[in-house]
Amino acid sequence: MARRTVLYRLSPYLFLIVPLIIYCIWVVGPMLYTIYLSFTNWDGVSSPAVIGWRNYQKLFRDPVFYISLTNNLKWMLCFITIPVVGGLALALALNRNIPGAKFFKTSFYSPMVLSLVVCGLIWSWMYHPAKGLINESLRLIGLDALAKGWLSDRRLVMWAIIAVGVWRQVGYVMVLYLAGLQGVDPTLVDASRVDGCSNWQTIWHVILPLLSPVTVVVVVISIIDSLRAFDLVSVMTRGGPYYSSSVLANFMYIEAFNNYKMGYGAAISVILFILSAVFIFLYLWRVMQTEMEY
Amino acid sequence: MSARQFFRSPWRTAGYILLVIVTLLWLVPFGQALLTSFRSYDDIMIRGFFSLPKTLSLNSYREAWERGGMRYYLPNSFIITIPSLILTLFFSSLSAYALARFRFPGNRAIFFLYVGGTMLPFQVLMLPVFRLTNALGLYDTYWGLIAFHTAFQLGFCTFLLRNYMRTVPGEILEAARMDGCNEFRIWWQIMMPLTLPALAALATLEFTWIFNDYLWAIILLRSDHLKPVTAGLATLQGQYVTDWTVIVAGALIATIPTVIVFIFLQRYFIEGLTLGATK
Amino acid sequence: MKRYLLTLLALVTTLTLVVACAPQTVTVTVERTVPVRETVQVTVEKPVAKRIVIYNSYMSDPAPREADAALVKMFEEEHPDIDVIHSTIAHEDFKQAIRAYLTASTPPDVMTWFAGNRARFFIDKGLIMDISDVWEKEGWNESYPKGFRALSTVNDKQYFLPASWYWWAVYYRKDIFDQYGLKPPQTWDEFLQVCETLKKNGITPITIGTKYPWTAAGWFDYLNMRVNGPEFHINLMLGKERYDDPRVKKVFTDYWGVLIQKGYFLENAAAYSWSEALQFMIEGKAAMYLMGDFIRDSYPDELEGNLDFFRFPIIDPNVPIGEDAPTDGFFIAANSQHPEEAKLFLAFLGSVKAQQYFADTLGRLPTNMGVDTSKFTPVQLKGLELIKGADYVAQFYDRDTTPEMAEKGMAGFMEFWDNPGAIDDILARLEAARQEIFAGQ
Repeated sequence: MARRTVLYRLSPYLFLIVPLIIYCIWVVGPMLYTIYLSFTNWDGVSSPAVIGWRNYQKLFRDPVFYISLTNNLKWMLCFITIPVVGGLALALALNRNIPGAKFFKTSFYSPMVLSLVVCGLIWSWMYHPAKGLINESLRLIGLDALAKGWLSDRRLVMWAIIAVGVWRQVGYVMVLYLAGLQGVDPTLVDASRVDGCSNWQTIWHVILPLLSPVTVVVVVISIIDSLRAFDLVSVMTRGGPYYSSSVLANFMYIEAFNNYKMGYGAAISVILFILSAVFIFLYLWRVMQTEMEY
Repeated sequence: MSARQFFRSPWRTAGYILLVIVTLLWLVPFGQALLTSFRSYDDIMIRGFFSLPKTLSLNSYREAWERGGMRYYLPNSFIITIPSLILTLFFSSLSAYALARFRFPGNRAIFFLYVGGTMLPFQVLMLPVFRLTNALGLYDTYWGLIAFHTAFQLGFCTFLLRNYMRTVPGEILEAARMDGCNEFRIWWQIMMPLTLPALAALATLEFTWIFNDYLWAIILLRSDHLKPVTAGLATLQGQYVTDWTVIVAGALIATIPTVIVFIFLQRYFIEGLTLGATK
Repeated sequence: MKRYLLTLLALVTTLTLVVACAPQTVTVTVERTVPVRETVQVTVEKPVAKRIVIYNSYMSDPAPREADAALVKMFEEEHPDIDVIHSTIAHEDFKQAIRAYLTASTPPDVMTWFAGNRARFFIDKGLIMDISDVWEKEGWNESYPKGFRALSTVNDKQYFLPASWYWWAVYYRKDIFDQYGLKPPQTWDEFLQVCETLKKNGITPITIGTKYPWTAAGWFDYLNMRVNGPEFHINLMLGKERYDDPRVKKVFTDYWGVLIQKGYFLENAAAYSWSEALQFMIEGKAAMYLMGDFIRDSYPDELEGNLDFFRFPIIDPNVPIGEDAPTDGFFIAANSQHPEEAKLFLAFLGSVKAQQYFADTLGRLPTNMGVDTSKFTPVQLKGLELIKGADYVAQFYDRDTTPEMAEKGMAGFMEFWDNPGAIDDILARLEAARQEIFAGQ
């Protein structure tokens, strides 16, 4: 066993010092500063003056806050169901050696490579009420009545935007499940078949439980991503028409950078953070549980 | 099993056909974007989306490239992404090594600090980082954006690399120590080469993420000629409001680098997504 | 070898950080040389001596964009030692980005902006440079009409340079009107009749794109001014009247609501930006558009012969006539890093030469009285008459009231558009917003 020199003991700190400083200045510090800002009335120009809880009081009275929150929850609901089920189904289907498996896999996770801005633009064109693919197709097969204003109808717009997110997310979840399936011991699966379980029973009682670590990751990531959603809304509708597609991140951006209410914007982001924090801690707790002692 | 064997069961065949249909549906957005980009806007507007194109040309691409600004937005994306990538991988591998192979007080806490950061809704950082960048005089410079990306990606990269480095057998490192190597040399000459697969995967993933960033580009940059493609596309949309063919052509141009990276480094991309995601 | 690479990387990193932190003039060279390393060499070799002025403009529509670029070129020819760094930002993005511009440590020196409350907002916060000296030096105190001078003055100092203005009116397709034997309506009833005839013949009477809701605000402005008079309207803008006042409600229920209910507006208006909606008019599927004169920039030249405009119909002949005639102009950021160059550029922009070019090329109306109007097109002259015949000139909804109120107001208009029955709720909310926003005043 080598001597534990002083240098050895100091090494981790030496390794960590520069990255940690960078991280603290650009990530940790700002996070704390945002919390401070949320108690001020900073407008981006004058010196911030502390105003206590006023921003939060205003926030809880603001109808747009509730609309945005509801939209985020809609997003969350879609994200933890459709991509999860769809991704799992695809992973199960494509995990065998069927012809063209590579083509299918690539097709489904290719949207992940596109930036959200690109996705938003491509889909905005598809949603174009007059000449976009969707409405033109509907008209072609005689379903004119269904050709709506996808991004202009307040009842449809949020779902239309979420659809784009889901389109992109399914491939991602599929990849995670595919990786997870690699870790599933095939002997266990065979054993259950030998015991007479049908395919469905095997999936439900054997494979799914074995995939539960992946499911936890997927669900947590889906929740966080649905809370963070910004790009698609910003590019496709900017939160319109009249806030019906507003999400918390977009709401925050407009309040801070359009209405110059930076203190208020900070309060919104703190709420966002608290909502995410719950899930972050859940995830960390799970990570902690499965950590092996070093 | 061979294809013939596979299709013996009618259920399987039906399922397969369903799969093909769904896959094709999934690719429709790409297809229609491509179709649109080769036509002229008037053509589509006057004669409809499903009309046979009167002319097919690369005009929209030319327009998006020249007057749309894609010709400087695209290089900008690289200028911002590559240094960020190199720096963040460098610093996170330093952190990861320390966290993975050393026992010291605060190890756990620092690790969770990094992990927590990966999940932050980045809007939380928006205003202070804007102010900070301003105060440092980095506003509207490449470096403002590079510095931020480097710092922000540290969380995820450290997390991933640390988990990976834990799987390296400790004996190799001990042997090196006994030979008298200092820690830095061990890190550089032993750990890093062993971590290469993870680094490759991470690099592919990070490239895509940083390249595709939109929010920070619009907050930390002001000048048009510094913008990366994501912000540039939004500007393009504002400029060519009615001309969807140009907008879509611009969008497709913007995807080329990430698609190339994806095609050649597919394997690493997938690895990157799954590294450490499953335990 | 590896150590060498690392040291080089560290060196490059540090040096480029130094470069990034260096004064603005050096940052300019970054734009010219793409790879980061070359920037380092340039800094070391020669100190940058060129004078520059950073000019950010929102003139993103094709025709103004070209005219803008031409003006920049003219200035550079007159002042060969000054480089203008010209960025054009999409119109809507600019409105959001300007906040970041003005508070940045290296702001753009000269920026396009709107007169009225929009400028006032920044002037009051001390973000705009006092340019009374430029006004004095260029003799604008004499060559600019009093109205425009008043528009640019706060507390006896000038902060803004009004450069061009245009009128709003109902633009219509002459040929379609002729086809159905219609004449430009002068009263509200005539207007309703015209709409009805058009609709019966399968033409959308009024086109509008409300993706960016300021187009709807135009309708509010005019209806409110016609029904309740410009004085009431301006007081509402200034936060001195209530949004739940029955007079305001009347605008929605008795007039605007009628148009919406009868289906006179374009379907799915909220899906289109203003210029996308124009397409319908160009194709002959719609006949009228309440819009500013800049509509002609986006209208195909060869078809402009069929485009004409009329004054928004009079609803109550006893009410003074108010018109929207927004004024665009320029100002200098208070912490501009190149104030001298900025002032020179501004002086040029306000000069007869620049304004003449802008007026002749785009058909906008200039503010400098020295501009020769003899070569004005019939359109320009008609527009001028339109405004001269008005009793009051407003700047437009989102320029007359504060940005936050404007945003909430316009969202309210859109909600009404979608759900006319909810008008009481909408107005109650707008009133609550008004009270909060104008509280300190």
